[in-house]
Amino acid sequence: MRRGILLIIPALLAGCDGRHNWLASAGAEAQRVEELFWVLLLGAAVIWSLVIGAAVYAHRRQVDPSLETQARRFILWGGAVFPTVVVGALLVWGLVILRDITSDEGDLTVRVDGERWWWRVIYETPEGDVVTANEIRLPVDRTALFRLTADDVIHSFWVPALGGKMDMIPGRETTLALTPIQTGNWGGLCAEYCGGAHALMRFDAIVMEQDAFDTWLAAEAEAAQVAGDDRGFEIFQEEGCGACHTIRGTDAQGPVGPDLTHLAAREKLGAGIYDMTPETMARWITDTHEMKPDIDMPPYPDLQGDRLDRLVAFLMSLD
Amino acid sequence: MRHGSDKQPRHFSAPGDAPRVIDQGSVWILVAAPSIWAAHFLLSYWVAAIWCAKTGPMASLFEPRWIIVALGLICTALIAWLGVIAVRRYGGVFVIFEEITDSSERGRDRFIGHVALLLCVLSVVAIGFTVIPGLVFATC
Ligand code: HEC
Ligand SMILES: [Cu+2]
Repeated sequence: MRRGILLIIPALLAGCDGRHNWLASAGAEAQRVEELFWVLLLGAAVIWSLVIGAAVYAHRRQVDPSLETQARRFILWGGAVFPTVVVGALLVWGLVILRDITSDEGDLTVRVDGERWWWRVIYETPEGDVVTANEIRLPVDRTALFRLTADDVIHSFWVPALGGKMDMIPGRETTLALTPIQTGNWGGLCAEYCGGAHALMRFDAIVMEQDAFDTWLAAEAEAAQVAGDDRGFEIFQEEGCGACHTIRGTDAQGPVGPDLTHLAAREKLGAGIYDMTPETMARWITDTHEMKPDIDMPPYPDLQGDRLDRLVAFLMSLD
Repeated sequence: MRHGSDKQPRHFSAPGDAPRVIDQGSVWILVAAPSIWAAHFLLSYWVAAIWCAKTGPMASLFEPRWIIVALGLICTALIAWLGVIAVRRYGGVFVIFEEITDSSERGRDRFIGHVALLLCVLSVVAIGFTVIPGLVFATC
């Protein structure tokens, strides 16, 4: 038993570092909660030590009936009044944090739609909506207001390092404000079990300087540059990929799967789970359900050789 | 005054001396304070829910906030009155220094009074903890 617990600890601690660390202070909202967490932890440690210390002391000492009154007074103040005041103060503090971090205003608005098992992402800009998927980029030190919903079942939107989480509910809109304060690639994930590939429903939350973000968003807003006689695109259409996927600027306007207009500009493939390389892309197409079980995209095992290479080369050119 | 070191025999034969629900020896005083807290809790929810439904999801809770506070004050006053009864009629004290073990009317009363008093304090604290979120939050 003891051994088992010891073995679990490193595994648990492994979750404490890196890009999913909710103690990374990468977001203003996460930082507020983090402060509260450390105060709670430290306070609990001190109080626990005092209580246990008092118990040990009491155990060692001779009973002295003349101290009865004092002892009762001590219990009243230390055991009733003090905890009430502390819990009351913590309640106020926690509520104030909650009130401050639940905002319905932001410097930019991003709509995210949870689907099984990927993310439809729409940036609202003055020039109109910019549709992308499976990767969310944010400018540092700006509050992004996420307007969240779901397409099929309940999902939950969570970027631990930045703050959150917030449920995504079909037919309803929930909002979450996040203000990243550190650049970097922070991991995001679905935090509500949503079926087979739930654990593979992830995304990169990439926090950038404002200039870099603006450049990126402008590029995302562009249509894809696809030559009319691009053999790869022809194969894409012949195989029926365009019935599910949209590549803006082409005839492919399918609404079912992720928008692929700037697919290769993403760092990860398949909703944050594989590196974006020609090899993983080829496997994604031929061994789809080995790469990600249960997904709505059919596998194309017969797509091989030159045809596959050309299709993959075309997809990798969508940056 | 009916409180005293010894319990009066209970006769309600005299006109005008109708039985009181919370009287010496009745255990109703125990459930009264927590019930007031529960009622306040429920009413607070109702006030907020009706307000939010009638004025839209993002409406300011400015009004319900003060309704909840006012309800809290009324309930606190009621509980304070119960506390007074616990002290006066039951001879309840806040801190008991000796064990109450004697199987007498007087002993039982003192015990009920003591427990009722503690429950009053607990209920007031609980009402406070219900009022605080109402005060802090201004949205639905
Ligand atoms: C029946 C609809 C459907 C068809 C047909 C389809 N896909 Fe998909 N595709 C999806 C769905 C749904 C996903 C998202 C799966 C997930 O991650 O849960 C997806 C994901 C992808 C992704 C990963 C996108 C990303 O953001 O990482 C690529 C690449 C892709 N499809 C390429 C293709 C290609 C190439 C074809 C044709 C050979 C094709 N798809 C045919 C529905 C389809
Ligand atoms: Cu999900």
